[in-house]
Amino acid sequence: MELGQSIDLASLGSQLLVGLSRAMILFIVCAGLSFVLGVLRVPNVAHGSLYMIGAFSAYSVFALFGTSSTGFWLSLILAPFVVALVSLIAERALFCHLYQREHLMLLLFTFALMLIFGDLVKIIWGAEYRSVLAPSILRGSISIFGSSLPRYNLFLLIVGPLVAIGLWFFTSKTKIGKISRAAAVDREMVGVIGINVSWVFAGAFVLGCFLAGFGGALVAPTVSISLGMDHDIIIEAFLIVTIGGLGNIWGALVGSLIFGLTHSFGVLLWPQFAIVFPYAAVVIVLLLRPRGLLKSVW
Amino acid sequence: MKRGTIIIIVVLIAIAAAFVYYFTRPPKIVRPIKVGIIDCYSGPPAVFGKDALNGFKLALAEINKEGVLGAKIEFTTRDTKFKVDIGLSMAKELVMRENVDVLVGTISSGVALAVSDYVRREKVPFIVWISKSERITGQKGHRYVFSTGENTALAGKAGGVALAQKPYVKYWIAGDDYSYGHDIAHAAWRNLAKLKPGVKKMGESWWKVGEPDLIPYLTAIQAAKPDAVIFATGGRSMANVLKAAKTTGMAGKIPIWIHTATDHAVLKPLGPEAPEGVMGTMDYHFYYPDTPANKAFVKAFQDAYGEPPGFPAFHAYMTGHFIAEAFKKAGALDKEKFVDALEGLKIDAPVGEVEMRACDHQAVLPIFLGVTKKVPQYNFAISSDIVTLSGKDVMPTCEEIKKARGK
Repeated sequence: MELGQSIDLASLGSQLLVGLSRAMILFIVCAGLSFVLGVLRVPNVAHGSLYMIGAFSAYSVFALFGTSSTGFWLSLILAPFVVALVSLIAERALFCHLYQREHLMLLLFTFALMLIFGDLVKIIWGAEYRSVLAPSILRGSISIFGSSLPRYNLFLLIVGPLVAIGLWFFTSKTKIGKISRAAAVDREMVGVIGINVSWVFAGAFVLGCFLAGFGGALVAPTVSISLGMDHDIIIEAFLIVTIGGLGNIWGALVGSLIFGLTHSFGVLLWPQFAIVFPYAAVVIVLLLRPRGLLKSVW
Repeated sequence: MKRGTIIIIVVLIAIAAAFVYYFTRPPKIVRPIKVGIIDCYSGPPAVFGKDALNGFKLALAEINKEGVLGAKIEFTTRDTKFKVDIGLSMAKELVMRENVDVLVGTISSGVALAVSDYVRREKVPFIVWISKSERITGQKGHRYVFSTGENTALAGKAGGVALAQKPYVKYWIAGDDYSYGHDIAHAAWRNLAKLKPGVKKMGESWWKVGEPDLIPYLTAIQAAKPDAVIFATGGRSMANVLKAAKTTGMAGKIPIWIHTATDHAVLKPLGPEAPEGVMGTMDYHFYYPDTPANKAFVKAFQDAYGEPPGFPAFHAYMTGHFIAEAFKKAGALDKEKFVDALEGLKIDAPVGEVEMRACDHQAVLPIFLGVTKKVPQYNFAISSDIVTLSGKDVMPTCEEIKKARGK
């Protein structure tokens, strides 16, 4: 066994910020997954595909506007709406007929959808790797605690909390948000008092998928956009919402922080086996709290 | 002479000529030559699978103008989905149901090794065109498996030779935690340590294949302050490594060597984001060598598919011509004669003459060592200051192969 280099405060600080910024992307994607799980009770395996479609759409918007920084900012705004539109069609055409089915059936259905979306992406965008260029203001890195931190990660550290505040405002201050929360707890009751549950569900589903698309658009400049992104994120996303508490958005935040930070500190501590740390954390959490850290709505 | 005698003589001469023609004409085969392709056409590796298929199609278009032994070469493809079990069952299906004469493929070393084991028992020739594991024609090599692609032994030695000339002492090794990553890292380090015994390995980092976020790894490596870093990565992780090296500022501060970093399939999508000054080794560039043979190949490919060929297309194109030439040399549609004919066969490839070495069935390919650089004529970075290492200099010797195979 060979441990990493002597760990100093500077490298701890930079790993903390890098880990937090990764956690922000995970949070945005997982909050959407958790929201759909909570309100609709659908374990949406195709959530990762919507994240991938978000990234590819971001590329298309970016390319359409001549790969400029305007293109980048527009891609952040438009790509999630493309995904929202796709999910609205999927919801009205397919999902809305299936809510009463058992979970295993839904799991199989969304799995099939993931394969279909994967092939559609290949047909539309092809198999080549794509890349989005961050605007010059977010390129390069700055020096913090004596070690370098990419500016884009700092940007993520600003966007993540903004999304969290927005979600908090939506779920606890707006009427539709409150109805969604109520539907998550008791959907019959919400129907009984005369609310059109079908459209509440559609809205909740589209919002959840919008977040997946936004996550995909945000991650686009940091990775090579390619087929297989869906598989990469979906397992992590399910683990995160499970340890956070199924259906609980704040659980998704806690889970993402655990996942992101154990990963980045693991890299520093034991770089050869860093892969293990987030998963070990998941095992520990599930041993101690099998239903997740925060209250699960299931 | 009577008229009758003349007629008889003419008829006899005609019959004799017909006999001579019948027994001395090139042997004809009645059915087309069937090639079975197993490769990955889904998921992230699809980009390489598609490129290889295009290269092979181009070779067949040229070959089938004249035909081989009076027949055409046909092919059937099967998608391995990058999975060993699927790849193996597809190979079995092609051999048993489609009765293919030759199997070719694939990008996955895992699939290649499994299929290689199968074809040894079935005695069907199998030509590997992308997978880079040195075990395919090294330790696990046998009579029926060939490789037209470069492998980790060649590339690792090329990297070792290149790095040994540099003044760096303290190294960090990082890469994809799978067969190729460990093989290429091990091969480069083994050769470097042999050529320059003073080098020291500070540490290693391994991430899972497809890991989207490499920044924590790179910031941690930078904090350790190595003299140089060897990245063992490929495919889409390569683009992620190059992006992260640029955004964290590592590329400007710490020298980096990565096999295939100079591949245009990686550098093109990165566009202006590609870091400059990264050392890379590659066995093919569409812009190098600047010879008529390569230019002709690139032009034909560009006209047919609208983009320049990548290294998989180059390998597959060569494979097509190796198959055609070997059947011509064998003179019959016979698997054993084909294997014998392919051993030591030389063909004219876009990079010059390439030999299929008889002792290990490995194509002798030159390796191009270069540094990523932005140039005005392309809107993406290319390999510059290219040094060509000849295949003979970077390949394991036949004795080393024998030792690896335990004979």
